[in-house]
Amino acid sequence: MDLLWLVPAAPLVGFLILFVLHDYLPKVVAAVVGAGSVGVSALAALLVGMDYYEAGAEPTWQLLWTWMSVAGFDPAIRLYLDGLALAMTGVITGVGFLIHVYATGYMWNDHEEPEGYARFFAYMNLFVFAMLMLVLGDNLLVLFLGWEGVGLCSYLLIGFYHRDPANGYAARKAFVVTRVGDTFMALGLFLMFRELGTIEIQQSLTLANEQWSGGDTTMALIIGLLLLGGAVGKSAQVPLQTWLPDAMAGPTPVSALIHAATMVTAGVYLIARMHDIFLISPEAQLAVAVVGLATLFIASFTALVQTDIKRVLAFSTMSQIGYMFFALGVGAWSAAIFHLMTHAFFKALLFLSAGSVILALHHEQDIFKMGGLWRKLPIPFASMLIGSICLAALPFTSGFFSKDVIMLTAFEHASHGLVFWGGAAIAAFMTALYTTRMMIIVFFGEERSEAHDSSRLNMWGPLLVLCALSLLGGWFGFGVVADVLPDGGLGEFSHFSAVALVTMAMPFLGIFVGWLVFGRRVIDVEALAASKAGNALKRFFFGGWGFDWLYDNAVVRPVMWVARINKGDIVDWIYRITVAVTRGAHHVGSLTQSGRLRWYAANMAFGLALFFLIVLGVIG
Amino acid sequence: MPVAVPIEHVLALAGLLFLLGLIGVLVRRNVMFLLMSLEVMMNAASLAFVAAGARWAAPDGQIMFMFILALAAAEVAVALGIVVQLARRFESLDVDNADEMYG
Repeated sequence: MDLLWLVPAAPLVGFLILFVLHDYLPKVVAAVVGAGSVGVSALAALLVGMDYYEAGAEPTWQLLWTWMSVAGFDPAIRLYLDGLALAMTGVITGVGFLIHVYATGYMWNDHEEPEGYARFFAYMNLFVFAMLMLVLGDNLLVLFLGWEGVGLCSYLLIGFYHRDPANGYAARKAFVVTRVGDTFMALGLFLMFRELGTIEIQQSLTLANEQWSGGDTTMALIIGLLLLGGAVGKSAQVPLQTWLPDAMAGPTPVSALIHAATMVTAGVYLIARMHDIFLISPEAQLAVAVVGLATLFIASFTALVQTDIKRVLAFSTMSQIGYMFFALGVGAWSAAIFHLMTHAFFKALLFLSAGSVILALHHEQDIFKMGGLWRKLPIPFASMLIGSICLAALPFTSGFFSKDVIMLTAFEHASHGLVFWGGAAIAAFMTALYTTRMMIIVFFGEERSEAHDSSRLNMWGPLLVLCALSLLGGWFGFGVVADVLPDGGLGEFSHFSAVALVTMAMPFLGIFVGWLVFGRRVIDVEALAASKAGNALKRFFFGGWGFDWLYDNAVVRPVMWVARINKGDIVDWIYRITVAVTRGAHHVGSLTQSGRLRWYAANMAFGLALFFLIVLGVIG
Repeated sequence: MPVAVPIEHVLALAGLLFLLGLIGVLVRRNVMFLLMSLEVMMNAASLAFVAAGARWAAPDGQIMFMFILALAAAEVAVALGIVVQLARRFESLDVDNADEMYG
């Protein structure tokens, strides 16, 4: 338990070493420090986790130091460990370590940023540190620090290939869009502090229960919605989802770690951490479910028509996080965290194997220029296949366990059970469909390119470990998330009811239809897409249901227009006038400094005369 | 038996002398006249003190006059030094020559 501090400290030290010395470190040292620091962190997390369960799974604190102490307001840098934090820490350090190891190979011969090897790992380590502070922080201030820290690292890593202006644009877009959500979240946190008078998370949740439950829940609703706003921005949910597909401009390990496995799930963590607020206000919880359902629906349709392999995976990430939000919204708290964990395994696996494919094809990402790769790239093919069946949630893979619980819990929802279950089931069908499409187009059919797989142990090793985790992770997940969240762990469901069987059949149906359409070509997809209605629909889906277009016209263009006509900045005039008045007064004042003795004497006499006249009451 | 002069008259005289001295300070450019005008101002103040002391039969007014006398002597000692410097540097007694001494 004493080692808890080491978990975030190791990546921080790694970051400092890499960042300060990045020009002087040989690549090997940078790789060892970069991946090793996260490895140390993962090891410490493992020991801490074992201690935690040995000690009876009681939440514990570790006070590092008091940040500041001002008039009764004394936020501490204090780490808080409970089952939720431990599950998140395990995912961040464990999956993070595997991705770091993979990245040591992936970035080795990087053609765009050959000098950036140490810099890349510096940012990655800083990200792991910030993410750990986010999940381990015991008060809202530390949580917010981690929250913004991961946002910064996301920005830095999306724009890692900074020589291409398009990547810089993608990075800025991600930063600004998530900042919109962060503003909501900051307002929510301020409001919590004002209403409850404390920033300690556990204490504030207890107080919230005492003050609001049973009574007026308006304040809980407002805070819940504001926090949801922050979560929506960070987790790329409707309506702030537009940044995630563009975030794929970063190197593939970044997409795997930040934009699939960990950072984008921070919103899920936030809502799970603040679950009392959402339990007090059922309306806020319903909003979470609706956001999740809308996102998983929109994203799974969009994924069906994408041509860039990473964008397919990005939209699939959005829809899977939609499942998590949906789970939180329908009260399957533990299932959401469970799905977060299994998703981290199989989505990291999918991204890393996609990275291997991309690398083997010399940075080709268009799936229609791939094809027939399964013979040449056996390891990426096998791992992507495993990732895909987990994503589609075939029985006994990790994705199946978590998704099944979510959907069956949704069916039992008090008011909207059938709608929720139906929507999620259609999305499950779509998930299987687009996954099948991607697999068939990338790995089967005729060969369209030359592939050279030059990956070594440090690249396929993590793939194999993630394969095992994806396949088997579902089995040990039940214990990890059992006792933190209020639903008392994952529910027990019969798998032989009609609903359960239909739920289970959906992925098979999706795969079958996918095979018919894209494999056997029963329907001519090209002809369908070329028809007028088909083309319009395809473009609508391809553009992410018009959200980008909407924001471009509703926000970006008006802001740019205002910026253009307001180049001189109207607000600045206040300050410019102040400056001019001060300068003028100074000029007048300096005229009296003539150096003439008689002028000074006259001034003095005049002043004195004035003074006496005022004292005597003649004037004034 | 000397005829008692009313204090109003003395104060009016003192005020007149002070005003004359002030005008002298303000309008004369020759530093010697400037110093002489200063002496007139100080003596006007002294006269007011003495008159007030006589009016209320208190010694303070005359003691104040002694102080002013000492002050005037000291002032003259310092001022004459400055005058000598001024005369050496500018070869004139015009006080406006020293107007470049400002920050």
